Amino acid sequence: MLTLAFDTATAVATSALVDGEEVLGERVSRAQTLLEDVDALLRQAGAHPTDVDRLAVGLGPGSFTGVRIGLAVARGLALSLGVPGSGVSTLAALAAGAPDALPVVDAKRREVFTLLRGEPRVLTPQELALTEGTLCVGDGARRYRTQLEERGAVVPPDDDERHLPRARFHAQLAGEPGSVDELEPLYLRVPDADRNVG
Amino acid sequence: MEGPGGPLILGIETSCDETAAALVTDEGEIRSSVVSSQAELHARYGGVVPEVASRRHLELVTPVIREALAEANASLEDVDRVAVTRGPGLIGALLVGLAAAKAVAWSRRLPLVPVDHLDGHVASLYLEPDPLEPPFLCLLASGGHTMLLDVRSYTERELLGSTLDDAAGEAFDKGARLLGLGYPGGREIDRLAGEGDASAYDFPVARVPGLDFSFSGLKTALLYAVRDLGEEELDARRADLAASFQHAIVRALVERVREAATQAGRDRIAIVGGVAANSALRAALPEATAAPLALCTDNAAMIASAARWTEAVPYPRYLALDAYASR
Ligand SMILES: [Zn+2]
Repeated sequence: MLTLAFDTATAVATSALVDGEEVLGERVSRAQTLLEDVDALLRQAGAHPTDVDRLAVGLGPGSFTGVRIGLAVARGLALSLGVPGSGVSTLAALAAGAPDALPVVDAKRREVFTLLRGEPRVLTPQELALTEGTLCVGDGARRYRTQLEERGAVVPPDDDERHLPRARFHAQLAGEPGSVDELEPLYLRVPDADRNVG
Repeated sequence: MEGPGGPLILGIETSCDETAAALVTDEGEIRSSVVSSQAELHARYGGVVPEVASRRHLELVTPVIREALAEANASLEDVDRVAVTRGPGLIGALLVGLAAAKAVAWSRRLPLVPVDHLDGHVASLYLEPDPLEPPFLCLLASGGHTMLLDVRSYTERELLGSTLDDAAGEAFDKGARLLGLGYPGGREIDRLAGEGDASAYDFPVARVPGLDFSFSGLKTALLYAVRDLGEEELDARRADLAASFQHAIVRALVERVREAATQAGRDRIAIVGGVAANSALRAALPEATAAPLALCTDNAAMIASAARWTEAVPYPRYLALDAYASR
């Protein structure tokens, strides 16, 4: 069972090719060059696009444009290859890569996306429920390192891979796959224009 | 295996507020052209909201491709290249179409043809059953562009003039808003103008040097006229205002198109883009070839058509291709 997994919701796009339990390859780049990574992953594994059985895609929350690029790629692949897919929360993938850590994704505008009692939320860094020694991972944790550390949190060094929602975890967390056209981004925010319109 | 009639070009367009897919043959025959307009979605904002448009493009991009395939009674097996709008346009919107197009092309090892949206509009004239052949002078007027192009051949065009401020379609939208009409404004003004007197008001259009346009002063003139009338009188004069306002835009376009044709030494004129659907413009330029009505607003058939003269990028060189918002 060959799973192609990727997440383009954060500044760093991650991708992985997973065969059952075995991670055949993992790559990191940007959303716009995701398919270059996907191409390299398949070539390294000696696989053809038609060998892919299913997709596992990061739904965000994160960069709106980034999430959309990943989902548009997934939709295009599913249409062309006729494969099903599953959506995985970017926060859940981060948490899976760093058990016991609080996932913190940069939401811009001085806010972060995080999990609060298992639910994705938009908060200011000050609103994060931190106690002494809380481990925080993600690009939001990196960005607000000083603030979080001042409040007792522990943020791994910037180059620690726990800051990345690595796609092997998307493959691991993926539930029963269904129609990729049904997958929707986790935006968590309405467009600005809707804030002013009744 | 190719279906009857040879290989097809799959076109995808998501640069603004239409999500579109089309299948076109190498000879320029449209097998299907599906356009899912977001106009109603954006009507409540009075204009296109980029984030709202991008969200909708993602929802619609694969359904419109599926529909285009179904309408053409074709499958992706019949497609030998994928054409997609790379720019200019709303960057977040373009990236959705480009990502989907790349994914379809990559999974089948097909070449990708990145198409400039403006070439697409011009190429709306090259489709069957009545294709126009270059050279000609082309007015491209839409919500995003107002340009005079000297189209020398299928692959060479020169920009002779463009708007210094609002695009013609944008002027229509802003005018419609001032008149309390719906969105998109061009269609509303066109409809209402039919009931009004185009000579009732004398709206001046700024004459700028060269072959450029300027429509921002016209909007201000309309604003003052509306303000002077007051609510009740406005109701009575709305059709006259719409007709006069439209007349001013059309006059400015027509004058410049003819000037440009003379300067470039072209005896044929063509009009493309959303504003080319305007009935007053079509009537004022009887000598011009206008793009078919269905191909005036953004569509993917014109993108696939442009791909016939645009170099295809072979696999895997297009995988890192980026979109561009402007040139
Ligand atoms: Zn256009």
